[in-house]
Amino acid sequence: MGYFAESFAELYNADGWMDMGMYIGAGSSAAGWWTVIATVMLVGVLVKGNTDEQDHYK
Amino acid sequence: MEDQILALTAEVAAIKGAAEVTNRMFAEAYYYITIPLMVLIHAGFLLYEMGATRLQNVLSSGVKNLLAFAFTIAAWYLFGWWFYWALPTWPLDLAAGAGYMEISGLEYANSIAWAWGDSAQYMGPNMGDNASGVFWGAFALFAATTASIASGALIERIQTVGFVICAVVLGTAAWGIAAAWGWHADGWLVTEFGYHDFGAAGLVHAVAGFFALGVLLNLGPRVGKFNADGSANHLAGHNMPLTVTGLMLIIVGFFGFLMACIILPGEGWSWYGDRATTIYGTPMTLSALAFNVPLAAAGGIIGAWVMTRDPFWMMSGCLAGIISVASGLDVYFGSTVIAVSMLAGIILKPCADWLEGLGIDDAVGCVTVHGTIGLFGVVMLGILGSGVPGLGAFAPEDTVAISLFGQIVGAVVMFLLGFVPGYVVSWIVNKAGMLRIPDAVQIKGLDAVKVPAQAYPQGMTSPESES
Repeated sequence: MGYFAESFAELYNADGWMDMGMYIGAGSSAAGWWTVIATVMLVGVLVKGNTDEQDHYK
Repeated sequence: MEDQILALTAEVAAIKGAAEVTNRMFAEAYYYITIPLMVLIHAGFLLYEMGATRLQNVLSSGVKNLLAFAFTIAAWYLFGWWFYWALPTWPLDLAAGAGYMEISGLEYANSIAWAWGDSAQYMGPNMGDNASGVFWGAFALFAATTASIASGALIERIQTVGFVICAVVLGTAAWGIAAAWGWHADGWLVTEFGYHDFGAAGLVHAVAGFFALGVLLNLGPRVGKFNADGSANHLAGHNMPLTVTGLMLIIVGFFGFLMACIILPGEGWSWYGDRATTIYGTPMTLSALAFNVPLAAAGGIIGAWVMTRDPFWMMSGCLAGIISVASGLDVYFGSTVIAVSMLAGIILKPCADWLEGLGIDDAVGCVTVHGTIGLFGVVMLGILGSGVPGLGAFAPEDTVAISLFGQIVGAVVMFLLGFVPGYVVSWIVNKAGMLRIPDAVQIKGLDAVKVPAQAYPQGMTSPESES
């Protein structure tokens, strides 16, 4: 976590990926971890939603 | 003198820089604006579906529609975008290598379309990239539109989560692959057969319509739709004004959808520095759409009015009119558009009646409006537009042109890309017990069973609740 630059002046001088909004660190593994978290949450919601739905039909 | 030249050079450089900034910001804003315009399509689908639903199921239809929108967009971010960039040359090239334009293939997709690793730089805020986000957003709305098209056909008896699974498969895999093959300058349907589908009559509408047909075969009709002798009953929705207004909003959104199909000039990703093109790099203007989209809407309404006098079918005809010419909106002449779209409006209701006669309960005519008319539009361009070059001037010399054969091949592929996944995924979902709502629940009303809110708490009651 945190941010790779201390000011936006550094941001504009950054080499390559100029990650402004995610505050995860350019080129780090954080993007992938957030993707895993989001995927697990989406699948979990579907599973829970289906369980509740089947209960409604009983 | 030397000082003057230096000053002039600096001034020219400043003007050039300002022009580049203006062009870049205009392009970014142009595609950004298409996104809320396409959200209007979903506002329209929401009204349309809820209006076409009977009173006891209104909110259930709304929930289903909203979830199709939400899950398809999330899934498009996670893996749908990758399908589009990875598979244009597959399966002709089983290794899914890059095509001639070198903006496709596994390696390319892996470098720009995954939300992890170095590829993630193109999947989030990035001060060095004004293009990826707006393109992704426009494509995400294309995907959500495709998924929502199928939604209306299935109302009042499909389970919510089972439907979401079907919608995600349609909006990501089915549409993503259709777009990769037929809506990409490296797509094999384009490079090998000259397939041309500017406004996505085949790769959005036909795919979605026939996906819905595949699901309908496993889902079955609503309780009460068909009598024992096979004759059909008309199950009228609870609010025709809502439905018709929703359809008109869909038309408004279509303008955003279609303007997003244009590639603007002057950027690193543009086909040309000085002219707008289709996604195939063939030349076109926004003015072509300004002529042809309203004319197609008008022709469709008039054609359906002649046959039905029914506002529901007139607005469905409006959609059908646009879909019937969508493949060639960039090249058709206005009068041609009137004729073709009127014909679409005329054949619409008989085609829907024929489908119903086969025992298929398509609640809103989705299979006909989007599927049948979508294929009609793809093939009509083959008849009327044969000989138009399939790709822009940058393409190899042996690029094939639009042809009737190529459009028929494309139509068959689009039918299969819709129907086969629709049938297979709904068959699996059905086997898991997640497809059809039990008949007893349908009779009781879905909102009473599973929605913790009322559509009209003070104003309306359904016949079921009165009894």
